[in-house]
Amino acid sequence: MVKKLTLLLSALIFSMAVLAADNRYVLGVDGLACPFCAYGIEKRLNRIDGVTDVQVDVGESVVRVALQEGKTLTEERARQAVDEAGFTLRSYSQAEGETGDGDEQ
Amino acid sequence: MNSSRRPVKVSVLVGSLLLTGGTMTQAAPNTFNTALPVAQGQTIWREQLVLRERSDDGPMDRDVSVQALVSVLGYGVTSNIAVFGMVPYFFNKELDVAMPMGPMDRIERDTSGFGDLSLFGRYTLYKKDFTGSTFRVAPVFGLTAPTGDDNDSDRFGELPRSLQAGDGAWDGFGGVVTTYQTLQYQLDGQLLYRENGRHDGFARGDETRFDASLQYRIWPRSMQGVSGTPGFVYALLESNLVHRERDQLGSGTDANSGGTQWLLAPGLQYVTRRWIVEGTVQLPVAEDPHGDAIEDEYIVRVGFRRNF
Repeated sequence: MVKKLTLLLSALIFSMAVLAADNRYVLGVDGLACPFCAYGIEKRLNRIDGVTDVQVDVGESVVRVALQEGKTLTEERARQAVDEAGFTLRSYSQAEGETGDGDEQ
Repeated sequence: MNSSRRPVKVSVLVGSLLLTGGTMTQAAPNTFNTALPVAQGQTIWREQLVLRERSDDGPMDRDVSVQALVSVLGYGVTSNIAVFGMVPYFFNKELDVAMPMGPMDRIERDTSGFGDLSLFGRYTLYKKDFTGSTFRVAPVFGLTAPTGDDNDSDRFGELPRSLQAGDGAWDGFGGVVTTYQTLQYQLDGQLLYRENGRHDGFARGDETRFDASLQYRIWPRSMQGVSGTPGFVYALLESNLVHRERDQLGSGTDANSGGTQWLLAPGLQYVTRRWIVEGTVQLPVAEDPHGDAIEDEYIVRVGFRRNF
C-alpha cells in the first residue's frame, strides 16, 4: 500500500515537473489596441514549432506564449512573428514558472 | 412609352454602394476603409446587408430601393500589403417612377443579380506603434470589373443604365486612408477618388469622397482589472462627404445627375477576437444634387466580419 502511494506521489510530482518545464515567454507588443487585431498575432505565433498556447492580453499589450519542453522561442523569431502580424515587439522575456507575468523592458 | 430611353438619373447606385460600404475588413468603420493591419497569411471575410432608399421631388417622383449583400474577402500577403475582393449581390434594385404621360400612373422596374467585382490592394506606407495605440497611413488602389449584368430588360424594354446590376465599364479608384487607434477610441479618415469608365455611351460621374469616423469603446467601460482579450462594444459615428460629377450620356452630360451629399452614420459594433457584428444607419445631413438628381433618404448597413 505504502509502495503504491509512493509511486502515485512520484508520478504526480513528475507530471507537475513536466508542466513546470514548459517554456513560457512574455512578449510586449506595441500597436495592439483591439480584440480583432489580436488574432493575427495568435495566428503567427501559433505557426512556430513547439508553441502550445498563446494568450493575448490586450489591456496590458502583452502576449504570453507557451512552448513544449525542449523548445525555445528566440527573440529574433518572436520579433519576426509579431512583425508578420503587423505589430512591433516592445519587450521579450522568458517567464518564471507557469504564471509568466513578467514584462521586463 | 418606353421609359428605358429616358435619362433616368438614378445616380450612384453601384459606385456608391461599393465605395460607401463593405470595403475593408478589419475592425474598422462600417462605411469605408481602415489602415489597420491584416496579418501575413490571415484571411478576413465580411458580409454586409445594405438597405438603401432614395427618392426625388421632381416631376418623375422617383423612388429607388436597393437590397444587397456585399461580400468581401481580404488576405494579408505580407504585414504591409493586403489584397481585397468585393462583390455585391442585389436581391432587388427597384425603381418606382411616375408616368404622367403614359397609360399607367406609375411603373416599377427592377433587377437582381451579382454586381461588379472590385479588386484592390492596400499598402501600409507608414506606421508608428505605441503601447496600446497605433497610427497608420495606407494608400489604396483598385479596379472594378464589369462582371455584373449591364443589359437586363423587362416588359418596358432595357432597364436604365444606372438601374443595371453592373455598369459595363472598368472603373479605377485610389486614395489614402489613415487610422489612429487606442484602447479607448479609434479615428479613421479617408480621401478617395473614383474614375468611372465609359461603356456603350454611358459613364457614371467620377466621384471624390472624404470620410471620417470615430469609434468609442463603451464596454468594458474601463480596462482596469480586465485581462485577456475581452469583447469590445464600440459606439460609432461616421461621416461621408461625397461629390459626384454628372453622368455622361453620349456626347453630353446628364444635367440631373451627381452633386454633393454629406451623410452621418451612427452605429454600434461588437468586436471579439474572431468576430465583429455591426450595424449603422447613414442619414443625409446635407444634399446639393445637380438639378433633379435623386437623393438618399437612408442607408442601413448590418453585417459581420470573421477572421481565419
